[in-house]
Amino acid sequence: MMKDSQDIETATTAVGTFRSSAQPDNKTRRYDRQLRLWAASGQNALESARVLVVSASATSTSILKNLVLPGIGHFTILDSEIVSQEDAGNNFFLEGPDSVGKSRAHEAVRLLRELNESVEGIADTSDLADRLTDSSYLASFSLIIAHNLSANLLDALSKLLWSDPSLPPLIIVHSAGFLAEFFIQIHEHTIIDSHTDAAPSLRIDKPFPALLNHAQSLDFDAMDDTDHGHIPYVLILVRALNSWKATHDGQTPKSYAERVEFKKAIIGMKKKADEENFDEAVAQAYRAWTETKVPSDIEALFSDTVLDTLDPVSPPFFHLLAALKTFASQPPYILPLTSTLPDMKADTNSYVHLQKLYKARAEEEKAQFTAILKQSGVLLDPVMVDEFVRNAHGLKIVRGRRWDILGENSETFGKLLLSKETRKETATHLALRALSRLLVKNPNTQEPTKEQLVAYIQNILPDHVELPEEVGVMVGEVARTPTADLPNTAAFLGGLVAQEAIKVITKQYVPVKGVCVVDLIGSWTGILEA
Amino acid sequence: MNENEQTRFIDWPGRYYHIDQVLNKPGPRTDENFNAGDAVKDFLRNQCKILVIGAGGLGCEILADLALTGFKDIHVIDMDTIDISNLNRQFLFRQKDVGKSKAIVAAEFVMKRVPGVKVTPYFGKIQDKDESYYMQFHIIICGLDSVEARRWINATLVNMVDEENPESLKPLIDGGTEGFRGQARVILPTVTSCYECSLDLLSKPTAFPICTIANTPRLPEHCIEWASVLEWPHTQGDKKMDTDDPEHIGWLYDTALARAKEFEIEGVTWSLTQGVVKNIIPAIASTNAIIAASCCNEAFKIATSSSSYLDNYFMYIGTDGVYSYTFKHEQREDCPVCGGRSVLFEVDKEWTVNDLIDALLERPDIQVKKPSLAAIRKDGSTVNMYLQGPKSLEEATRPNLEKKVSDFVGDGEGIIVTATSLPLSLDLVIKYI
Ligand SMILES: [Zn+2]
Repeated sequence: MMKDSQDIETATTAVGTFRSSAQPDNKTRRYDRQLRLWAASGQNALESARVLVVSASATSTSILKNLVLPGIGHFTILDSEIVSQEDAGNNFFLEGPDSVGKSRAHEAVRLLRELNESVEGIADTSDLADRLTDSSYLASFSLIIAHNLSANLLDALSKLLWSDPSLPPLIIVHSAGFLAEFFIQIHEHTIIDSHTDAAPSLRIDKPFPALLNHAQSLDFDAMDDTDHGHIPYVLILVRALNSWKATHDGQTPKSYAERVEFKKAIIGMKKKADEENFDEAVAQAYRAWTETKVPSDIEALFSDTVLDTLDPVSPPFFHLLAALKTFASQPPYILPLTSTLPDMKADTNSYVHLQKLYKARAEEEKAQFTAILKQSGVLLDPVMVDEFVRNAHGLKIVRGRRWDILGENSETFGKLLLSKETRKETATHLALRALSRLLVKNPNTQEPTKEQLVAYIQNILPDHVELPEEVGVMVGEVARTPTADLPNTAAFLGGLVAQEAIKVITKQYVPVKGVCVVDLIGSWTGILEA
Repeated sequence: MNENEQTRFIDWPGRYYHIDQVLNKPGPRTDENFNAGDAVKDFLRNQCKILVIGAGGLGCEILADLALTGFKDIHVIDMDTIDISNLNRQFLFRQKDVGKSKAIVAAEFVMKRVPGVKVTPYFGKIQDKDESYYMQFHIIICGLDSVEARRWINATLVNMVDEENPESLKPLIDGGTEGFRGQARVILPTVTSCYECSLDLLSKPTAFPICTIANTPRLPEHCIEWASVLEWPHTQGDKKMDTDDPEHIGWLYDTALARAKEFEIEGVTWSLTQGVVKNIIPAIASTNAIIAASCCNEAFKIATSSSSYLDNYFMYIGTDGVYSYTFKHEQREDCPVCGGRSVLFEVDKEWTVNDLIDALLERPDIQVKKPSLAAIRKDGSTVNMYLQGPKSLEEATRPNLEKKVSDFVGDGEGIIVTATSLPLSLDLVIKYI
């Protein structure tokens, strides 16, 4: 990722008395606050991304701003309009009256590019209708984002992109006044580093030989007070559990009473009342009876249909997943060990020694995993293999849906609207949908009335559905502001949509499923799923 | 030409086409006080004065959003200068601005980009200003990363409320972000929950015990803390550590690395060293945009009454899908700032004054760093138990640290806790257990 080797050298010679060869270059310094989130791998993915944004509306430029700043590789704005007086009033990436009359795409690209010199930006002033049916043009991008695209163009674009899984994902964004929604149309999205909070197992209940041997070999009673007070809780638990199993048919503590007894036994191992490491062992005792096994959501991935039809051109993720499945189908039927050891009360030597045992074992299991991978004849980048193994407990496959799948099933709409949990989200979605359809139907007759909007909604719902009050409220909102791209709504969406785009591009974190609905009067967001 | 005429001149036709859709007519959820049309536009564009505290990640976004929505008299305070690591999100700054005042550069940029908007910068601390300064604003928005500064402005605004004068109640809108998470909230001082009311929502910063750092390091962080907390003062004497100086970071990195090698600890890097000593919080443009937009949207709704506003807390988490939670945080009756009631504090009969201070430091709902304590007896007399300063008084009261709390106050008597960093005092009522 560090292309600027020149900068490293300049920086190093500039620094005085201290040995500072590790001092980061300018690029790393610039991106420091985000590299702490998605690391060099995420940054590389961003820098390779090519994003097409349809229209240079205030919302579109707000989204792009949050992609240009962290450094996406390339963006194109597709917009054939010229800047109007209205545009100049609500878009930070136009220069007020000075931009009026100029190409909207060119002005926005020029001002967005000022944010980050390393980002390439292009204005495309072709006719939208032509470009949006040109699949080879669309295929040159890794992600497409469309804001308030007219319903007929959007239908054509979304259908075309869905027709071929190799075409880029599409983020559809709608807004009117304080209300908005967006949806990610994506076929298949695999995530290695989901940044899950779930902590991998320390294998207390299934200690690997070196761990068990080490725990058993220590002579707790012969230690002096200092050493005894610094035995890592992992070793205390492994040992306590081993003794427990010896007198309980090899079983871990099961019932509440047994668990209380197990904790008492740990307390009984103390030499002095104030030994914090034993208190830690008691607090972590659940690890002794939480079975180390393949988590159910990872187990579910093992039955993914792609694994049945795996071939050399299948994405690497699935080859890795197949290898993981083989790994976990062998005793002791668990995922490869992750070497990260949490901090615990211990002296340096015993902690570092324990850490080395975990690292060594993790390397061994990774080697087993790599061997399996090799047997299947797949050659993959060791860095990727390493990342996959380290994150094996948090893998995800997202299978998205086609845009507007909701709209084609009126019964589903009816159910969502009548359910208390999804009523306001559905009402908001229906109001925005009605607006986008009716604005197209009468492009010249100006804004649809409240009555027309309600009639449209009633018409797409099953006959028996009586419109709840929320529909009237949301319809009232869009009727008040049918064409308003409010700066705050644009900025809010700019953040949300860019955030999701970053997740899609980096394949880190988990993108939103379903339609994400925003109401900035009630100040809430919600999710609508079919 | 007076200012209003200038403003009219600059407001080209169609400029507020989008915003005016909201201001021209009420909607289904509009406040009944809403004065649709010219009156509300005149207030927003010609009268409303708004203060932005912080011109960093949130501040840059807030200034741009406010300017576009039609606020024309904006003030901004920030004591910081621009660093290269700001450029991945603080979009009003460029490489050439590194080293300059954030407030001044941000103000100039917004005025250039959005014609007719006046942004008045102040390059300095919020504590430099007094009540008469804060009194001039209609709304105050905070985009700060410092808990201490927020507590200060919160307490200042609560203290300013005068029941006789409705103008003295200044809505405070506070935003904060950390990585993919953030929150925006509306505080009506004395009316709703205030910043102090919710201190226990803050996650506790990781603190490493000094004995671990000195004797049993296990993590790279322990080695870095050793370099900065113990070795720096030991070897550098009185020289003040500047965590923005690459030479200082270089020294800390080298020192921490040497210690890590000695103990066979892996993972000391330049980036981690910087992260630990500067307490760096990851920050990205997108999260800041979401939270800043929320703050400005609430400010707009409050300023115009064009729609109901947030009551009173919006929380966003973007790591797994889009999760947000909007709720009403309740005012705390025993809030030391807005509650006006004393806190019942349980004290062990054997505790020394030092033990009491330790217990205070542990309390997530109080969070004081260097408290001074004074006992109030039932007869109204007061006795200094321990004062952090000035030096002579600190020395005079230092022996008291080893005395028992019960030597100073009886059951049911009070202790006043003060801290120089905070414009508040906390009344404890002592209950022995
Ligand atoms: Zn309060």
